[in-house]
Amino acid sequence: MATARPVRAMDPYAEQFWAFTQARELRLQQCADCRKFRWPPGPTCDRCLSDNFDWRSIRGTGKVLSWTTFHRGYFPEYPPPHTVVVLELDEGPLFVSVPVEISPRELREGMTLALRWTDGQDRLGEYNLPVFGPMNG
Amino acid sequence: MNGRLAPLKDIVAIVGVGETDYAKDYRGSGGQAVEKGVARYDSYTLASRALKRALDDAGLTKSDIDGLCTANLSGERASELWGLNPRWSGSGDAAQCIIEATMAINAGLCTTVALVYGNAQRSMDTAYGGARVTGGAITSYFYYAPWGMTSQGALYALFFQRHKLLYGTTEAQLGAIAVAFRKHACLNPNAVMQTPLTITEYLNAPYIAEPLRLYDYCLINDGGVALIVRRADMARDLRQRPIMVSGFGWSEENVDATQLRPRLKSFYHGAHHEVAAQVYPMAGVTPNDVDVFATYDSFSVHLLASLEGFGFCKEGEGGAFVQGGRIELGGELPCNTSGGMLSESYMQSWNHQPELVRQLRGGLGSRQVAGAEVAQYVHDVAGKCKSLIYTKGA
Repeated sequence: MATARPVRAMDPYAEQFWAFTQARELRLQQCADCRKFRWPPGPTCDRCLSDNFDWRSIRGTGKVLSWTTFHRGYFPEYPPPHTVVVLELDEGPLFVSVPVEISPRELREGMTLALRWTDGQDRLGEYNLPVFGPMNG
Repeated sequence: MNGRLAPLKDIVAIVGVGETDYAKDYRGSGGQAVEKGVARYDSYTLASRALKRALDDAGLTKSDIDGLCTANLSGERASELWGLNPRWSGSGDAAQCIIEATMAINAGLCTTVALVYGNAQRSMDTAYGGARVTGGAITSYFYYAPWGMTSQGALYALFFQRHKLLYGTTEAQLGAIAVAFRKHACLNPNAVMQTPLTITEYLNAPYIAEPLRLYDYCLINDGGVALIVRRADMARDLRQRPIMVSGFGWSEENVDATQLRPRLKSFYHGAHHEVAAQVYPMAGVTPNDVDVFATYDSFSVHLLASLEGFGFCKEGEGGAFVQGGRIELGGELPCNTSGGMLSESYMQSWNHQPELVRQLRGGLGSRQVAGAEVAQYVHDVAGKCKSLIYTKGA
């Protein structure tokens, strides 16, 4: 059984994003006209309003911008303490994720973290969750 | 300066304010805080009480009202409940409603607008994070539930953590805000929180979303607020001195908002600068002229962002600016003098307006800012920024 997680917000674009994760692929939409990467997924490029896009695999590395540790429980699936990190991906978008193989005390501003995968499921189905850990970890 | 705003300066006044009994309604029979989720009120009960008090404060009756703004209420139900058939109606936060009411009055759609808010959030146990919060649209933190990211508080924790990393702001510096607002609440008999808070108690309180602690978070309490906004030439010779709406501005920073880019990359200063460029020239004042200041304070961090974004101090210097009593009554820039949403009442922007109006009317006793003539409110909820400047009318 995959790890239970709080339910995902879903629409046709999110559905495609999560479908890629079943093969452990982290893909973001890139505008086919102006080439801007976008996140979260959606129908239109916010820079040029084009609805042409490709799902691009990304490098899977980013720099740490900020983080917070929950000391109060909000979701039963994530008992406290639980830490969330915000990265700036090499492709541009900021990405909220969970740091793994590193304690919150070891996080540093500007530190590069790399993509890892962990399993997940909710009432909508099974998927893999993109999380981030130290380089060369 | 935006020349099209200038003619709207001082064309309306706040002539009446009304609030419910926040402190009394927060306490149960034994003096303890009432349990969440045990309904004593609904939002309409609280809103109705506030409306009656605002009309009485102004010396007007409901037959004088020809416009209605409602917040956290159904406009249709509220109108029906109060027996009103308005010629114009709106809804939104306090700043939005005041700006839109000014425009409606200027257009000749109406002359006297009641702006009414009610929120039985404690009675109804409203959730502001976790599994009970779901988004109809994919925005904000709803998207990040699979990673365990939730709540506005955690978003502002990320904001403060970034501020710490960039500028070296300390948690003890941030604590001065909660301590100052609590000091103000202790001078306000209608404030929910009446016990002084020391910086040691602040630092000993548990983290909620680190680096934010318990006292960085606003209250969850029941209440209602009403304001009566009237065309300026009809505002004289009422029960109270009219308080003029002398300036306003509006700017929203929504591009890449779910990614948290404007929040973490610029602390929403893009929106602050746009609003500052409208509100100060329109009112004909500068930050130096502001005698009493209030900011939306669902979290203490909001004050750092407002002070830096509106030019009261340089970017990154907010932590140092709020030290040494500068933001307290008697200081250089008294902020959130009612106790704000941290310590008076979480009325989601509405309780700040009666407080600023009363400060300009005068006579608040130990809470009075001596000689207050210019008051500013800054509204910044996740980059949706507005500001108002009030001045004393004749």
